[in-house]
Amino acid sequence: MKHIFYSAALLLATLAGTAQDIDRSKAPKPGPAPVINIADPASFVLPNGLKVFVVTNKKLPQVSATLTIDRDPIFEGEKAGLISMAGSLMRRGTTKMDKSTLDEAVDFLGGDLSTSSSSVSASSLKKSFPKLMELMADVALRPAFDSRELETVRKQTLSGLAQAKDDPNAIADNVSNMLMYGKAHPYGEIETEKSVQKVTVADIKKYHQTYWKPNIAYLILVGDITVEEARSMATRHFGSWAKGVVPAGKYNAVAAPAKTYVAVVDRPSSVQSVISINAPVQLKPGAPDAIPTSVMANVLGGGFSSRLNQNLREKYGFTYGAGGGVSPDKLVGSFSASASVRNEKTDSAVGQFLYEFKRIRNEVASDSEVTALKNYMSGGFARSLENPATVAAFALNVARYQLPKDYYRTYLTKLAAVKSADVKAMAAKYVPANNLIITIVGNAREIAKGLDKYGEVKYFDIEGNPMAAPVVKEVSADVTPEAVLRKALAAYGGEGAIAAIKDASLTGTMNLMGQNFIYVQQHVLPDGYFSAIKMGEMAMMTQKKAGGEYSASMQGAPLPIEGDAKANLDAKAMLYEERYYLSTPGYQFELQGIEAVEGKDAYKMKITSPGGSTSTSFFDVATGLRVKDMREQELGPMGKVVMTTTFKEYKAFNGVQIPVKVNIDAGPLKQDIDITDVKINTGLKKEDLK
Amino acid sequence: MIAVKNTLTAGMLLAVVAASAQAPAIQFEKYQLPNGLKVILHQDKSAPVVCVSVLYHVGSKNEDTSRTGFAHFFEHLLFEGSKYMKRGDFDKYITNAGGENNANTSQDRTFYYDLLPSNQLDLGLWMESERLMHAEITDAGVETQRQVVKEEKRQRVDNQPYGTLVENIFKRAFQQHPYKWVPIGSMEHLEAAKLEEFVAFYKRYYVPNNAVLSIAGDFDIPSTKKKIEQFFGPIPRGAEVPRPNIQEPPMAGEVRDVIEDNIQLPAVVQAYRGPAQGTDEYYAFNVLSTLLSGGESSRMNKALVDQKEQAVAAGAFPFFLEDAGLFINFAITNMGVKPADVEQTIDSLIADVQTNLISEREFEKIRNQVESNFVRQNASVAGIAESLANYEVYFGDANLINTEIEKYRKVTREDLRNVARKYLVKNNRVVLYYVPKGQAGSAKP
Repeated sequence: MKHIFYSAALLLATLAGTAQDIDRSKAPKPGPAPVINIADPASFVLPNGLKVFVVTNKKLPQVSATLTIDRDPIFEGEKAGLISMAGSLMRRGTTKMDKSTLDEAVDFLGGDLSTSSSSVSASSLKKSFPKLMELMADVALRPAFDSRELETVRKQTLSGLAQAKDDPNAIADNVSNMLMYGKAHPYGEIETEKSVQKVTVADIKKYHQTYWKPNIAYLILVGDITVEEARSMATRHFGSWAKGVVPAGKYNAVAAPAKTYVAVVDRPSSVQSVISINAPVQLKPGAPDAIPTSVMANVLGGGFSSRLNQNLREKYGFTYGAGGGVSPDKLVGSFSASASVRNEKTDSAVGQFLYEFKRIRNEVASDSEVTALKNYMSGGFARSLENPATVAAFALNVARYQLPKDYYRTYLTKLAAVKSADVKAMAAKYVPANNLIITIVGNAREIAKGLDKYGEVKYFDIEGNPMAAPVVKEVSADVTPEAVLRKALAAYGGEGAIAAIKDASLTGTMNLMGQNFIYVQQHVLPDGYFSAIKMGEMAMMTQKKAGGEYSASMQGAPLPIEGDAKANLDAKAMLYEERYYLSTPGYQFELQGIEAVEGKDAYKMKITSPGGSTSTSFFDVATGLRVKDMREQELGPMGKVVMTTTFKEYKAFNGVQIPVKVNIDAGPLKQDIDITDVKINTGLKKEDLK
Repeated sequence: MIAVKNTLTAGMLLAVVAASAQAPAIQFEKYQLPNGLKVILHQDKSAPVVCVSVLYHVGSKNEDTSRTGFAHFFEHLLFEGSKYMKRGDFDKYITNAGGENNANTSQDRTFYYDLLPSNQLDLGLWMESERLMHAEITDAGVETQRQVVKEEKRQRVDNQPYGTLVENIFKRAFQQHPYKWVPIGSMEHLEAAKLEEFVAFYKRYYVPNNAVLSIAGDFDIPSTKKKIEQFFGPIPRGAEVPRPNIQEPPMAGEVRDVIEDNIQLPAVVQAYRGPAQGTDEYYAFNVLSTLLSGGESSRMNKALVDQKEQAVAAGAFPFFLEDAGLFINFAITNMGVKPADVEQTIDSLIADVQTNLISEREFEKIRNQVESNFVRQNASVAGIAESLANYEVYFGDANLINTEIEKYRKVTREDLRNVARKYLVKNNRVVLYYVPKGQAGSAKP
């Protein structure tokens, strides 16, 4: 009893005591910065020059290994894409095992094995590791480079490129890199469909034979493995790997432009501009400036609370996110900043970028701003150390960039020593004031105005080739809109030939983002029309007009058709919309100039329907054919998008020209229609439309 | 004679290998504060990082049938602020300390964690104790989070291809048990709920006697114990926490349905009712799922994706919970392939497991994969903190973090065949075909 009482009293006393010990109303202060122990990994070199690092960490009975080829960047030229394709192909079979046998072998060990253009990585439990290492060595040194597997890799690469062509961010990356480094520099060259098609198995084998040499390679082993085990495994699997002379890459020094300029890539369907501001800077990894510069870069553009994001997103609402930074590199470093902004704010957004660059160059940041960022960075550094692979990555960097041995051990001390004044000094050095390349991918006609105050405005195509500014040429006074519409009808075959068409059935394929559908379009002149996109026998989307009846469906569900949508179908039913425009009272036309469509001059005509909806059509000046339509459309959750239809190829059937290759670009949705079969005057009736 | 000797050697070798694969035990200390809070401490000084986590034994199965979505809603609401923390401070403090935080909710529990540099341990303890002791539940906060949760549902369920899958499976597989709804719950229920209902939920479930504080990483044990006492000791014990006790009757027969979704490629789903987690059969199911879908060479991947090219992706997912489980087979069909054909292939794979014992070689492969995955789950202090808390709450035995692998090792080839025979039968399953909008009519389930 007494005993219990005593304990309870003690407990109460402790509780009472503790209540005074802490002040809940404030966040507790951090303890002293933790001492970070980063042990140097063990290392040794095999006679063939392979450098091996071992980070022994017995926390878990698993081991991972990475073989890295430390070669200079390679200029690929007319076969751009070769190196990354080689990386993918390595994982698809060895001289001993085809892909499925290799997959089974890796799974049997409960392991993982992956490859890239200059590395192979593997990991598994310790007990399976010796066998996995054998597979890893086969993959690295004895890949099959099978020609059928190459075709699979090529297909994947090409579909990636096709997507990138339409992706404004990928365009901005390609063009800004090309402008910054030049076409003849490995960082500036661009992979194209043509260059990927040229890659052969022989090229890939040659790349592997030339560059995969032990004397430029690092083997890093991390986990439950001793140095002696590592030595014997490395020797057994990589010891007989023959060394060789690897060509060095020598490239001309990259210079920043003498004066800031604006590089515009015209993308008429854009409703947002991608702004990417870049300049090469001379900053090597591990240079004394590297750490203070990273603090400066984080203040300017690292993360949600950075100045660029606070300004462009939080203050002005131009964008969903803005950021930037400085990347050190052995060959040539870079300064960069970017955001995607609404069309009409392109000019203002560039102005705010430059304002923030100037502010960080000229004003000293507050101590509290710099301290908060340093805390954020040191916390991230500490957390990264939990993964033993981080220690290995540090060791690799020390070796590759010839850093002082204690570079990472003293990282936090160096970070802590960065002062506000240093931030300003680094900005003055690495945030160029007058030597920037401002790349903008967007709708040139809507965004170009005002950009010349930032520097000369130059135009480029999506592969970075210079081109003329898209100018609005004047239409000569004697050309009327009606004349342009009549000329189009004449080009299609003339009134006589068109009048002889009673019905037309077009069939073909439609490719929507890599998927193939069946496309059907039928006309029963003058007032029957049907079009459908089908998957097998299932109709995904239909539109129909039969006399006065209109209907449409999306994946089986009926869609309403009202007002101008009806007029739209009325026009389509007549096979050539121009006939409808000219014969229906109330249409208004306005010629707005001459613009290039796929490199050819075309009249640009704004067409306003009696119901008030507008669209823009382009007619080839020389041939008269309609080559492009643009119409703003509501696309469900994506909001308003400009839908651009390009008629790429016409073919004659029964004396009239029918578009057989049509591309529809509606922002994220892109469709290619290929008409493979056209039947005319088969006696199709309105009742048959389906 | 020789055969016997070889067997013996092989057996001995296996024993040696098994021993050598043994992960070093994860040491931890476990105790309870007088107010009922369970504390688990695992020290690991190899990196200057600490994870402070709190697991609350409340999930969607604790919800009222007319107030579904509450448990998950709290995962948002409890970042709104506390008596001593303004709105938005949770994230600000963590970011400025160089840390990272997040939370998640399941049918059975809600988990919060802060991953911090080790010198910021106190900050983590303070924030988590504030969350438990002083959460501010206000109309403004509730309204803000209603909007956020609605966006989350739009983004992760409605707008996600196949995003309604789990919801559609569970509402057909369960008729009585609260597993018939999913954690995201009903937006109408959240809309209709009054402030006092949220306050009542907080008072009922966010009490120390319903929580496990699990800390893993670089910290000093004696001084941390003292701080835990200081931060969490003064929080009063709550009333006994009610637990649902609803027995779900066996399925009355196979349930088949077609669901239309915003997708291009149809999908096939089979969900078989199974036992609760932690049973012997549960471990057999986990091994079975590895046979069917662990890695590139697994049976489903090989048959459906590589050989027949009927599917672009396929897998088997053991979805086992505290009171009951589901074993789910899932495949997304290739262009132009009928869901029924894909289902037939899946059925034939199941029939094979029911009829034939798998080979020794394949069994060894999947045991290796299971073992590898088991070891890897303990690669980070955050993973360890969460596993310790889960094991303690679900099975009352945090030490399963070290010993659970034995339960997997006990699974035999016959066990795989037995669970397949007992559970993977027609009358015990829900089959759903996911089809593009407008095509329900043409897809016969």
